[in-house]
Amino acid sequence: MSGLLEVTGLTAGYGGVRVLHGIDIAVGENEIVAVLGANGAGKTTLLRALSGTVRSSGEVAFAGRSLAGTSAARIARGGLGHVPQGRGTFTDLTVEENVRLGVISRPASTRGQADGDVERIYETFPVLREMRRRPAGALSGGQQQMLALSRALLARPRLLLIDEPSLGLAPLTSADMFSVLARLRDEWSLSVLLAEQNARASLKVADRGVVLARGRVVASAPAAELAADEGLRAAYLGESPDGLTEVSS
Amino acid sequence: MSELLQQTVSGLTTGLVYAALALAIALVFQGTGTLNFAQGEFATLAAFVSFALSTAGLSWWLIVPVLVVLAFVFGAGVERLLVRPVEGNGPLALLTVTAALLLGTNAVVALIWGTDVRSMPSPFGDAVHHVGPLTFTAQALGGGALVLTAMVLCGAIFRFTPLGLRLRAVADNPDSARLLGISTGLMLAVGWGIAAAVGAVAGLVAAPTLGLSPELMTNALLLALAAVTLGGFSSRLGAVVGGLLIGVLSNLASRYVPGIGGDLQLVVPFAVIFLVLLVRPQGLFGRPSAVRA
Repeated sequence: MSGLLEVTGLTAGYGGVRVLHGIDIAVGENEIVAVLGANGAGKTTLLRALSGTVRSSGEVAFAGRSLAGTSAARIARGGLGHVPQGRGTFTDLTVEENVRLGVISRPASTRGQADGDVERIYETFPVLREMRRRPAGALSGGQQQMLALSRALLARPRLLLIDEPSLGLAPLTSADMFSVLARLRDEWSLSVLLAEQNARASLKVADRGVVLARGRVVASAPAAELAADEGLRAAYLGESPDGLTEVSS
Repeated sequence: MSELLQQTVSGLTTGLVYAALALAIALVFQGTGTLNFAQGEFATLAAFVSFALSTAGLSWWLIVPVLVVLAFVFGAGVERLLVRPVEGNGPLALLTVTAALLLGTNAVVALIWGTDVRSMPSPFGDAVHHVGPLTFTAQALGGGALVLTAMVLCGAIFRFTPLGLRLRAVADNPDSARLLGISTGLMLAVGWGIAAAVGAVAGLVAAPTLGLSPELMTNALLLALAAVTLGGFSSRLGAVVGGLLIGVLSNLASRYVPGIGGDLQLVVPFAVIFLVLLVRPQGLFGRPSAVRA
């Protein structure tokens, strides 16, 4: 496995409170890795530490280069995309302008494919084309999630961090989102690090899963293995053995 | 009737200064959420620099573009060196810095050029044009063209260029902009630079009519703030229209409303603003942010 992203001993936190206590994780080329864990396990912080939006220490190598001390903007320009929790919509800009922001953020070498890529996005998410003149803040949660994904994809990242894409979505929309993710990996030659509470759905699209609990990696295995391990899911993912997710407070 | 028109024209002429300054204030506010109280003093400084350049014998055709570039660099530099370090300390700290910049810039101008009022020649000459019953000074026409150009250029940059899109993205959601690789710090500096360049236009338009002194923009700043409120902080067009409206209103009131002389005319625009804010708090052209709950 060629490691596109290699992380060893990553620690991070907010103020004096440490949230991540030495995380080791790797993502290979064209691989989808699901980061699972209950609320507060450190999934979001892990993604933020990788994209440089939260201070961290430890070794992070992306495409063979160390990201230590690199600013968030520079990390993004280096090909690491991040669809943040809350979707990061530019609410006062139109849907089309949100899409265009992705396009102008891509590396120069992919400028020629921009028009084709935009067309591809509008084919994947036809509703965005219909709404392109509307302010993005007026979109529904699911539509904003599609928009966030589109914006990040159009910047042509090599690795995309996606934080809780199913959060706040109706179950049906959320299922759509996961099936789209599986397609996107091949269409856009992507690697994906997907943080999710919904273990069942994300393990269906992922190659491997990593389980976090209280800021530490407690399990790391191929997705099928994790999906079959009911004891693990019950212990760390807040799922009862019948597979229903408990409502966490 | 023709006198009413003439009064309106002369109100528009004063309004141009407020309009340009209001546009500059709106640009910084939209980009950073901060009111730059020093915007007027930046304009005064630009007016003095243009005066110095013209005394040195440069042609106005050269001075205007040079001034705009210098102002841009100055504005961006001030953001980088003086505003950036306190940026993380909250909006009140930023406001305090811009107030300090107001006093500081004013003092520097007074130190270099003194406090006497000087007369500055109009960059557009002293010609007077007659159109039907109305008279236009060359300064009014040239100033109008200059402010209009500044407004259209700003609009074009923000609407149609990748730079403008990045500037608006940073203003809208800086965290998300960073995740797209946009350098937010650079964009803030550019925003301040563009605002200072527009402010320089305000200085050029103001100085020949009001007389060049460190107090050039003292009143104009208050009226420009009023203009931005009137037009709406979220609208560049609103800021310009607000500035022109305030110019016209105060001029007409002082001429036609008994008891309101030259000094009391300032009361009129503020009464109007009070009414506008009661009825339409986002200003005439502003729109409330469209965010779905």
